[in-house]
Amino acid sequence: MAVTSLNLTNVTKVFPRKGRSAEWRAVENATFSTRPGEFVCILGPSGCGKSTLLNILSGLDEQYEGEASIFGKPVSQQVESGVRVAYIFQEPRLMPWRTVRSNIEFALKTSGFVQSEWAGRIDRVLSLVELSKFADFYPLQLSGGMQQRAAIARAFSIEPEVLLMDEPFSALDELTARRLRQQLLMIWGEFRSTVLFVTHNAFEATFLSDRILMMTRGPAARFCDEVDLSDLQRPRSYEDVRIFETSRNVVQRLIGHIGNLDER
Amino acid sequence: MPTANTAIKTAIVARDREPMLSPAGPVLSALAGGGGNAKATTTPASTTAAFTTAPPRVTSTDLSRFKQSLEIFLTENAITLLSVLSLVGLWYLAATVLPPSIMPAPHVVADILWTQMQTEQIWSDVSITGGRIAAAFSIAMVVSLIVGFAMGISKVAERFLDVWVVCLLTMPSLVMILTIYMIVGLNDRAAVIGAAVPVIPILTINIWQGVKGVDYKLIDMAKAYHATRGQIIRSIIAPQIAPIMVASARFGLGLAWKMVLFVELLGRSDGIGYRIEFYYQMFNMGAVLAHALLFLFIMLFIEVVLLGMLERRLFRWRPTQRRL
Repeated sequence: MAVTSLNLTNVTKVFPRKGRSAEWRAVENATFSTRPGEFVCILGPSGCGKSTLLNILSGLDEQYEGEASIFGKPVSQQVESGVRVAYIFQEPRLMPWRTVRSNIEFALKTSGFVQSEWAGRIDRVLSLVELSKFADFYPLQLSGGMQQRAAIARAFSIEPEVLLMDEPFSALDELTARRLRQQLLMIWGEFRSTVLFVTHNAFEATFLSDRILMMTRGPAARFCDEVDLSDLQRPRSYEDVRIFETSRNVVQRLIGHIGNLDER
Repeated sequence: MPTANTAIKTAIVARDREPMLSPAGPVLSALAGGGGNAKATTTPASTTAAFTTAPPRVTSTDLSRFKQSLEIFLTENAITLLSVLSLVGLWYLAATVLPPSIMPAPHVVADILWTQMQTEQIWSDVSITGGRIAAAFSIAMVVSLIVGFAMGISKVAERFLDVWVVCLLTMPSLVMILTIYMIVGLNDRAAVIGAAVPVIPILTINIWQGVKGVDYKLIDMAKAYHATRGQIIRSIIAPQIAPIMVASARFGLGLAWKMVLFVELLGRSDGIGYRIEFYYQMFNMGAVLAHALLFLFIMLFIEVVLLGMLERRLFRWRPTQRRL
């Protein structure tokens, strides 16, 4: 069997009953795996448990059934196994009391890099996201797009084997988001991390990924379809008509699945 | 306003560079045309020439330096100055309307304060009251920190202590102080405890809400990057708690000072609170206000200079121009 970078086997997540609200079966029997260096998008409607899967893979959520592993090791043993996982959230999640540089230093420190390497790594990732001039700015002095670029820089600074991204561009305006998507692909081309990118935007998923995994709407959301995009050549361009056609196709298939659910 | 401000500053820069030339010239030109910048950039050559031919006279430059810093100070603190002046003016207004035995004018009070400050009694009162404030504030701060943190972190503690806090908060501080005097006795220990207890519930609520407001998204971020528990507390939680701590300290100090005065008035025979009560009984409002004024200055110094400086140092990262 080929090496998998990420692997979920029959993962079910149930949020327990709290107060008056009933228990919520977020995800049911989720199974998928990714190859090292693959860019995979999980596409599904809002509230289908996409973020739940990321939280499980990042180790933030430890209450689930089934198996989750990274490079063959269970998520719970990930720290010891030395596999570096970075997480980019919907919001930048930078510490406002630290400069951009110092925010990245935090990630480098927690990931165990020796201090002599910090400056070099920070300079490299900041130049990749074109923020070199803003290294000593505080996050609140930067625009939303720049803050998210700083978060991307932080993620790549630790040279992650796995990068988890939770709708990182959904809070930005479309033009900024376009630029960041292209930048992301460019940086990913240099690092070749495995990327698991969660989105509800079919075009975004088509433009970015090698493979799209579709999820149905919750409760008990599950994977319902898979689209292979390896025939779309890289580097990709927004002008490419084939990407538009493919993304229309993807939307049709997604509507097909969710529509079926509504009739049920 | 800002243009005039920068004009004066550029003028000052220009003046610094050419101490031997006519001192009023650049100021006037800068104020008149705002063209001080151009002038300032062209001066260095002439400055060095002036310095090599004749060294500047020390006394005159010192005097002009003082004038310059005074000018900067006045332009930058115009609003504060205006505020203080209007407050004193209002006091004068009240003094003209009311009889002098009830509301003596500021200069009369200042005069009384000046003569009091020559005596030893007022300083011993200040040190006694100051000591009580320090003790009461420390007790209140420590207890509130522990209780507030417990309530912010633990749901059980929150449920349990909520009732206590609300009860203490609603109970009049007068009743609390009298009860403590009855239990502990009419002594200094009771005075300090009595001043601390009414402050505790208010500070506790402050800290409790602050701890609850810690951004869990940042904690998740730190966990996702495999931060240890210690790293999370030091790098994520502590910096978020710091502003609450400083705000609570400022607030708590102000409250403790009022409570100590109250406690002294009720059951002590020394300290500023007792002295104020004493002069009140003698219908000597001048001395009452003089004592209050002295402590106002002391507390203002601690509050604005010390804690204000700490706050500015700690929170440089905050954008300063956020105004509604």
